[in-house]
Amino acid sequence: MSVNAWIIVGDQPAIGNLITVARSLGGPVGAVVAGPRSVAETVAASGVDKVVWCGAPDDVPAEASAPAVAETVAADPPRVVLAGRNPGERVLLGAAAARLKAAVLTGARTVSIDGGDVIVVNAVFGDIAEETVAICGPVALLLDGGSVPPAAGGCVPIEEAAAAPLAMKVIETRTSGFDQVDLGEAHRVIGVGRGLAAKEDLAMVEALAKAVNAEIACSRPVAEGLNWMGKDRYIGSSGAHIAPQLYLAIGISGQLQHMVGVQGAQTIVAINSDPNAAVFSQTDYGLVGDLYQLVPAITAALK
Amino acid sequence: MRIVVAYKWTRDPAEATVRADGTVDWSRAKPGLSAYDPMAIELARQLAEVAGAELIGITAGGTGVAVPIASKAALSRGPDRVVIVEDESLAEAGRSELAAVLAEMIRYIGDVDLVVTGDSSVDVAAKMVPAVLAGELGWPAVAEVTAVSGQVGALRVERAVPGGVQVLEICGPAVLAASADAAVPRVPGMKALLAAAKKPVELLELAALKVPPSSAIMTVAGRSRPERKARKGQLIDTSDPAAAAAELVAALREAGTL
Repeated sequence: MSVNAWIIVGDQPAIGNLITVARSLGGPVGAVVAGPRSVAETVAASGVDKVVWCGAPDDVPAEASAPAVAETVAADPPRVVLAGRNPGERVLLGAAAARLKAAVLTGARTVSIDGGDVIVVNAVFGDIAEETVAICGPVALLLDGGSVPPAAGGCVPIEEAAAAPLAMKVIETRTSGFDQVDLGEAHRVIGVGRGLAAKEDLAMVEALAKAVNAEIACSRPVAEGLNWMGKDRYIGSSGAHIAPQLYLAIGISGQLQHMVGVQGAQTIVAINSDPNAAVFSQTDYGLVGDLYQLVPAITAALK
Repeated sequence: MRIVVAYKWTRDPAEATVRADGTVDWSRAKPGLSAYDPMAIELARQLAEVAGAELIGITAGGTGVAVPIASKAALSRGPDRVVIVEDESLAEAGRSELAAVLAEMIRYIGDVDLVVTGDSSVDVAAKMVPAVLAGELGWPAVAEVTAVSGQVGALRVERAVPGGVQVLEICGPAVLAASADAAVPRVPGMKALLAAAKKPVELLELAALKVPPSSAIMTVAGRSRPERKARKGQLIDTSDPAAAAAELVAALREAGTL
């Protein structure tokens, strides 16, 4: 059996979307798992045709299995190799792409096969434009992984890869105190930007979030730099892309790199003190004013 | 001992416009050092100081990446010298082609124990070049690195993971993609700018590197400007915050959003 599409799996079996895309291309689907054995077992029951587990010990990060992943994929060269958008899987996809000398695309909206070519509609330059590309040869795609696939009723045997891991190991894990979140699941999202003066003021935003039943997210500098929230909460071209019913941008200027992450929102509301902020040209409802007055007022109006 | 930091001289798509035919007009976008590269350069400089290593900046791209202002922007932030491949064929290069060129540059420089990059570029934001580069070199790679300590060759690398921080120990050479909070970049002063003008800039010919060819031939069959959802663009009078809040809540309820 020759594999048509390989799915690369790291620490989590969150590959539902990757299986859907791989299946849509036809042909056998293989999965190579660099994470724990338990992940390989979940994947083996998810309806793929073949599973290879790299067998690294628990204190070794998924990235250490990059040579084993590249080796496995190259031994049964696919047309397409897929991975989810997290740091570990990016590294593994990179190793496979280097080995296959594959084209690498990260903005695929649709993927299809046309004779000898793989056709991808690919968003480029922070999603401002789209290209339809035809690739003759191997393609590596970074996509949203999706959720954990349900058991498909049947299990394929787990093969083991033999390559030695790279010299890296986990020596310590500390909790950050930040709750984990899946913004993609939220119907309403409030985004906080640098218009908020202090971390303590998040309490005011949390009160609104509670009143409107929303998750709190942010622009990149708030998560990376100010460190007010976990990195899984920042929205934008290099962060989360969301499509909630409501996105409420508070103190966000509306830079392109942020706004591409909320294009799919059904309704966008913005609060900003600067009437010239770019965000107002991209919203349904704009409120020019002091967020410290407006946010509590909206919270009160919801009660 | 040598440490390499890869940087990118490029434009910000926020300053570009997309024509109706889907082609991108970059004419009003000013080129500059990619937004997160100063943090990567600073981190690499700090590691080079600790290790007593030479720090070499590298970049590869189309016409324009070797202009003096670009080299100076990198050199004034810390590298001892830069090595550049400027070739118009790289202007439209994909992630894997670019990574393959960088890998050959690192082999050409020789004696390199660590490569630092930014986590993503301001223009493409694919976050894949460091990953493919590590694959080309056969080295361990870590993305979204938030802090590094220890010695080059025996590094302690911190990265954010969901809900926490993980510390990794890496023996031997590695590729580290630095997150924006990995180091606070310096603002180069006049002295650094003057010193940068005297640092060596080496231009390499792409053909001399013998980069292995890609197995994939990619052709652009079409371009388009993505349809954006039409927005109402309605401004709510905020002279009375309570009335503004009531108006917003009523509008959202009517739209079925609340």
